[in-house]
Amino acid sequence: MKTVHEINEKIRNGDAVVVTAEEMIDIVDELGAEKAAVEIDVVTTGTFGAMCSSGAFLNFGHSDPPIKMCKTYLNGVEAYSGIAAVDAYLGATQTNSDDDIDISYGGSHVLEDLVAGKEIELVAEGYTTDCYPRKKVETTITIDDLNQAILVNPRNCYQSYNGATNSTEEKIYTYMGALLPEFGNLNYSGAGQLNPLQNDFNKETKTYNTLGMGTRIFLGGAQGYIAGSGTQHSPNGGFGTLMVQGDLKEMSTKYLRGATIPKYGSTLYMGIGIPIPVLNAEIAKTCAIKDEDIAIPILDYGIPRRDKPELGVTNYKDARSGKVTIEVEIEGKKVDKCMRSASVSSYKVSREISKELKNWISNSEFMLTERLEPLKSAAPKPMKAKMKLVKDILSRPVVVGSLNTSITEASRVLIENNINHLPIVDENGKLSGIITSWDIAKAMAQDKHSISEIMTTYIVSATPDETIDMAARKMSRNNISGLPVVDSNNKVLGVVSAEDISKLIGRNGLHKI
Amino acid sequence: MKKRVFYWISGSNVREPVVSNVVLETGVMVNILKAKMEPREGFLILELTGDEGQIEKSIEILKKFGEVEDIPKIIQKDDEKCIDCGACVVHCPVGALSVDEEFKILLDEDECIGCKNCAKICPVNAIKIFEI
Ligand code: SF4
Ligand code: SF4
Repeated sequence: MKTVHEINEKIRNGDAVVVTAEEMIDIVDELGAEKAAVEIDVVTTGTFGAMCSSGAFLNFGHSDPPIKMCKTYLNGVEAYSGIAAVDAYLGATQTNSDDDIDISYGGSHVLEDLVAGKEIELVAEGYTTDCYPRKKVETTITIDDLNQAILVNPRNCYQSYNGATNSTEEKIYTYMGALLPEFGNLNYSGAGQLNPLQNDFNKETKTYNTLGMGTRIFLGGAQGYIAGSGTQHSPNGGFGTLMVQGDLKEMSTKYLRGATIPKYGSTLYMGIGIPIPVLNAEIAKTCAIKDEDIAIPILDYGIPRRDKPELGVTNYKDARSGKVTIEVEIEGKKVDKCMRSASVSSYKVSREISKELKNWISNSEFMLTERLEPLKSAAPKPMKAKMKLVKDILSRPVVVGSLNTSITEASRVLIENNINHLPIVDENGKLSGIITSWDIAKAMAQDKHSISEIMTTYIVSATPDETIDMAARKMSRNNISGLPVVDSNNKVLGVVSAEDISKLIGRNGLHKI
Repeated sequence: MKKRVFYWISGSNVREPVVSNVVLETGVMVNILKAKMEPREGFLILELTGDEGQIEKSIEILKKFGEVEDIPKIIQKDDEKCIDCGACVVHCPVGALSVDEEFKILLDEDECIGCKNCAKICPVNAIKIFEI
């Protein structure tokens, strides 16, 4: 019906009718898609949220004498420089190499500081060659000293995202933010009805109407481009992603912000807006998608596995209201659980982006492009990696003690079996405590005589189907060296110790978990 | 209205039930936000809730036994830094943080009890705490 070329003519003459995706909802409701497609030329979208997969290629120019940079640090954050002599890629989630600063300053903060025009400390080392005799360089730079600073983000602008909640009894810290125990909150992300990919998505064909490689977009406050489909792009599930690129030098800290998700690490908040040319009624209809039509699957992030259990589904309208109720199973009973919902992306800024892009187009400052290629229709595959479960390393016969065991007896059992942990069970074989050789040593020193006086009753346990990585993480988090393994009836099946695990994955492996 | 004060008692006054007196005599609600008692002195952060008269009278009584200093703010949100994500809202135990119709995140400094939950959550360090 219309072409991008015709719309660009109108934009040039200042005649184009541009509305935001929010405004388009009412227009299509009122006029219907056919008429709306005649009236409206462009719909603008916007989103502003944590986009971990972000970073920039930086070119520093040559020093005198020249250096071939191999290890490169910007304000103590390592940038990958195995590219050419003085190029590096700085990833947003790279953490500071200084233990004192920890994860609170990372690549994303360097990117923000660059955009803010601040001075950045550059330290680089290389190996010497005839053309690159210099070994080390230490200097300060600002973004103006760089030849190029090109933002290239491999996976941005998720079409939809899961909501995260936590069924466990402990507060957990995830890339979706802090999750309170026992379904205390539901964290969700995304702009819903303002989301660029959502507004361009044809639900039937699972393809995107207009955008693709080469589409000009709003990126971090400047004009950027879609470079193609993003990594892990999965339009079949409604989880499309984009690879985007733009000139960091033109961006603004209003739409590009370094951030730290507590106890997870740094990430970059990116602002992306995409114009959708309303070429026909089909497109007009898609652009009128509403918050209530966009599902948010609610997953239990308390289970740190690739496939997290889905507990229910909500939508952006309900999530934005601040409260979401789902039916969950607690101790075998179905109960309604009302969770407070919190966004980790900003709808306010998403809206500002859609409006700013609308202004650019209305003021003839931004022309639309026709895509060179549509986005791919790939579906991501999981990683092939071996997994070990707790039950795989539970070969020994289980050694337990009872409440009547004497301390002398208990210490004999520990020594004879060459173990450090003795679970104490009641008459039904259910776990009631645990003692370690350390508890026994303490009992001797304090002249205590009964097991119940010295055993630990607050017990962190594992289940046979947990992965050993989960068990290792539990131990390091609680600063303990062994976990009793119990079945669903709290019957003791054995013990996994830090030693068992480190034998399996090696010393270094355990530290990294 | 609510008023937050820093209270310092010294010497033998440490043994006086000052806070109870204030409550009994004025009917004001007192919330003890922080307390550190030493043998010869005590530091308290009190939050007084009541009408203006009650609060004035409470302060008079408090002054008889020690020194009172106003605490205007414990916590502040830097609106320039805040990206209005809203991650902090559910972590506030007293509802001092809220979302308005424009999806802007608001902090009601009068309601805040200074628990710091929000500051620990905020991804961009937009919340500043004044250590008292
Ligand atoms: S410090 Fe605590 S009480 Fe005050 S606003 Fe933050 S979360 Fe709420
Ligand atoms: S978490 Fe921080 S950035 Fe997000 S709304 Fe709260 S104060 Fe603002």
